Amino acid sequence: MTANGIAPSRLARQAASIGLALIVPALVVAAWAAVPFFVKVPAYKLPTVMEIGEQFWVLTSNGKLGWELLVSGSRFIVGLLLGTALALPLGLAIALNRHVSDVVRPALVFFQAIAGIAWVPMAIIWFGFGQGPVIFVIANTVFFSTIYNVVRGVESIPAVLRNAVRSMGGTGIGYFRELILPGALVQIIVGLRTSMAFGLRALVGAEMIAGTSGLGFMTIDASQSYGTDTVIVGMLVIAVVWYVLDRAVFIPLERKTVVRWGLQRFQ
Amino acid sequence: MSWSAQTKMLKGASGIAAILLLWQLSVYVVDVPPHFYPSPAAVWRAFIEMTEKGILPSYIADSMLRYLLGVLIGTAIGCALALLIASSKLAMRMLGPMIDFLYYMVELAWIPLFVIWFGFGLPTILVAVVYVVIWPVLFNSLSGIRSIQPSLILAARSLGGSRWQVLREVVLPGMLPQAVNGFRVAAGFAFRALIFGELIGAQSGIGYLIFESTTHLQTDRTVLGMICMGLLWLFIDRNYLRPFEKATIDRWGMVVSHDS
Repeated sequence: MTANGIAPSRLARQAASIGLALIVPALVVAAWAAVPFFVKVPAYKLPTVMEIGEQFWVLTSNGKLGWELLVSGSRFIVGLLLGTALALPLGLAIALNRHVSDVVRPALVFFQAIAGIAWVPMAIIWFGFGQGPVIFVIANTVFFSTIYNVVRGVESIPAVLRNAVRSMGGTGIGYFRELILPGALVQIIVGLRTSMAFGLRALVGAEMIAGTSGLGFMTIDASQSYGTDTVIVGMLVIAVVWYVLDRAVFIPLERKTVVRWGLQRFQ
Repeated sequence: MSWSAQTKMLKGASGIAAILLLWQLSVYVVDVPPHFYPSPAAVWRAFIEMTEKGILPSYIADSMLRYLLGVLIGTAIGCALALLIASSKLAMRMLGPMIDFLYYMVELAWIPLFVIWFGFGLPTILVAVVYVVIWPVLFNSLSGIRSIQPSLILAARSLGGSRWQVLREVVLPGMLPQAVNGFRVAAGFAFRALIFGELIGAQSGIGYLIFESTTHLQTDRTVLGMICMGLLWLFIDRNYLRPFEKATIDRWGMVVSHDS
């Protein structure tokens, strides 16, 4: 790396990048604290970093944040499981027959285009306010995203492979287990990440409009009484949840499956 | 159009027709109030009525204008930021983690804050769309720039290329495939953000139609709004985004990975 041939140790390099990475957030926080000295901003529009920290502490210690996180998390899991459980068998069934897949695909594309928060108003009519519409909208989002990926996954299996397996006498369960499932799995797993990203957005959006609890509801409810500190705490918690989900669940999962099979270069 | 493409289209149309037919028939079978389960016929009547009154066209125009404006501004800011950051290694190392973090902030979570800052109305919607567009464009452009082999840049330099020439001849073309990919993702997110922004803070537009009509139990209009939303998105995607992507691929001979 360096011109004089003395490579800095790994640790030092890491420390340097962490240090560099911290400069910008520090500047942002400093600018944030400095704004009220230069421009007149009503306090409710720009709470100080300290206030947000305090609010985080209050919400954590009285258990509110933990509770909302639990409520939102369980809805997310239920919606995700429901949507995936319905989409997998249906998607495979559709995709196994090329004619059925041709018939159903345009409708799927259309439903995928409207999946998500646009269903919230109808879901409120059907289930009333509360967790009913939230779970429905998550499941709906995940369902159409996943089913589309399953169909595409099966279709991405090269015809040569299909013919090869067939001509070797593969039929029924064997054909399904040895070719269709592994062949489609990559697209399904990659698609699951997209589905989860959409599902999380559905969760937050639906809770804001139709919820009576949960993280999304907490932020929109706080914004109506100008509790900006709570709004910002909620935003940060949602971001951390998504970050952890992505880093702790998906990247290892992709590494174990997609990358291991050498089907997609890991980035 | 080839014969097989024609049959494929016919099959797809038959699928949609079957759904419409089943939907209409099921309305006769299930015994629920019409606002609970509006029939396709009722949705069609709502479509005719709202078109004749001129409400629907003006809502669509409003939504499209907001969308277009937001996507253009967001893409411009995203690309400019990417080039600015990429022009300095130090800036890249300093800003990289911050951008990674902001990428993970769920866009919808910003909306309550935008409402506090900008009030209900056009500014909030526009800011939400712009915000949603910036990150995927910036994030993908940067990772495109990161994926350029350093030897290419060194080669261009040693052949006497100026900073500007290196940027134009090596960095920009290297960045483009990923940037285009990011743009497509952004365009999809932006459409959802637009609808959501209109659900929460607007007096017109498709999102407003979807939300407002349910409070008067005019759910035929709600479903009409949802169908308009789907058709609008497919129209944008097929007529503008896909050809744009294809054009860039043809021009630079690049392969862009497709996702959703």
